[in-house]
Amino acid sequence: MSISVGYFVRESVTNFRRNWVMSLGAVITIYLSLLLVGIFIATGFVVNNIVQSVEDKVTIQVFLKDGAATSDVNALQQWMLADPLVKGVDYTSKEEALKKFREDMKQSPEIIDQLEGNPLPASLDVTLKDPRSVEEMVAKIKRSELFLKVADRPDDPEDSLKYGQQIVNKLFAFTRVVRVIQVVFVVMLAVVSLIFINNTIRLAIYARRKEIGIMRLVGASNWFIRTPFLLEGVMQALIGATLAIVSVVALQAAIMPRLKDTLSFLAVSLSGTAMAQIALVLVLGGMLIGAAGSWLAMSRYLKV
Amino acid sequence: MSDITDATSAPPAAAAAAETPARTGPLMIGMRAVSKHYTPDAPALSDVDVDIRAGEFVFIVGHSGSGKSTFIRLLLRELLPTRGQIVVAGQDLVKLKNWKVPYLRRNIGCVFQDFKLLPNKTAFENVAFALEVIGKSKHVIRTQVPEVLRLVGLEDKIDSYPDELSGGEQQRVSIARAFVNRPPLLLCDEPTGNLDPQTSLGIMKLLERINKTGTTVLIATHDREMVDNMRRRVIALEGGRIVRDQDRGVYGYVD
Repeated sequence: MSISVGYFVRESVTNFRRNWVMSLGAVITIYLSLLLVGIFIATGFVVNNIVQSVEDKVTIQVFLKDGAATSDVNALQQWMLADPLVKGVDYTSKEEALKKFREDMKQSPEIIDQLEGNPLPASLDVTLKDPRSVEEMVAKIKRSELFLKVADRPDDPEDSLKYGQQIVNKLFAFTRVVRVIQVVFVVMLAVVSLIFINNTIRLAIYARRKEIGIMRLVGASNWFIRTPFLLEGVMQALIGATLAIVSVVALQAAIMPRLKDTLSFLAVSLSGTAMAQIALVLVLGGMLIGAAGSWLAMSRYLKV
Repeated sequence: MSDITDATSAPPAAAAAAETPARTGPLMIGMRAVSKHYTPDAPALSDVDVDIRAGEFVFIVGHSGSGKSTFIRLLLRELLPTRGQIVVAGQDLVKLKNWKVPYLRRNIGCVFQDFKLLPNKTAFENVAFALEVIGKSKHVIRTQVPEVLRLVGLEDKIDSYPDELSGGEQQRVSIARAFVNRPPLLLCDEPTGNLDPQTSLGIMKLLERINKTGTTVLIATHDREMVDNMRRRVIALEGGRIVRDQDRGVYGYVD
């Protein structure tokens, strides 16, 4: 076996050099397609993080009327906490609400100055396990007796509740569209790389037809004849994948800090594990494309 | 029919020069009612029956188009017969699975008119290639290749490239490559087709020497002089049929 491994590697490298223009072409197309795949995945991660952070902020605020009985408020809080949809319920007092309002409105002190006393209601802030269940939970709360008892405006339940359903829905729709576009692009690029590898391997087979003929004659097994070509395709793909990974890392290092600065209100981030996952996907994807391209060429031009 | 009388009335000296035909060994090649049609109405071979026993030395003669090449390609299982049964070295070629064909070919050495040597490899490397690609170890290659090159008389040309060798020498390299794995059967398709008579004789002597080691040798040729000189078994093909099969035969055609 040991001599075989050496033989295969030697053969693949020789082929690569003999046909380096085509090989380079294959490497570059794979590089470009994998680079785009990498950028798509990275963007996907970033967008997901942003969506996640927005979703985390999607809470249902239940405004309480001034002077609601503490026992009633506690009862409502306990009832909501017992609900399977709910992750947590925090109480915000009138004072805390005002403090937070002042914090948010620091830029326009004239608004704060116009405040007389404390018009802000106390509230219960409900965070959900799954942001998509906002609508459901809102409906439940509206039907609740406990809620009506302490609501800021019992006559208009809708007005005593604040939640960001619209934003969430829009975000979901947007990410779905982005994902479809990404998949279409990736598939198209994969096909182009496949065709390119198929072509280089076809030329390699053609260049070595004499050797292949002799190998058949002396009884080299099919896998023995095929392995160098398979290896060559995979090798081209791996070089492309390596270049793509390096580029994605470089892009990330160059762009992410700036993006964080300009979009400071959003949680823009790309973790190390995400980068490792991207690298893994690129290497595996590259190898898959390389092997498939070689296999395609062999099944068409290397009948055994 | 006059051919048979010719053969039987051959001078005793010529008969003695040839080996006694060995038709008793185990079956090396067996064809039963083999036909091969490339197109439905033009058979390349029809109804061929042949028995070749281990250790025999056999010529297949015939004009171009007589079916010689088809015969050889069937034995190598490059082709499957349209009808009939072929057994080579104990393997039923019709039933043989495709992936097992390489293992069949390891039992068949092949020599061709155009040598089929790789120009960028030396004599040693060309022979070594045949062992390398069937997964033999470096050790085996280092011992067997010089040995077989000595056997074919090329011990001085081990590191020469094909274009530095004469035609006869190139054919010797190709015989060395066919024989290095010690196959029980050696198929030669016009092995002397590109060589002058003197060189051809040397090649035939070499094939005879290989035959003496027990290897079955089958030679497709239209080299009349050679066949007549050797006085070995001759199978004559004409229009895809066997028209003659005789021990110590001659070429027997008037070209």
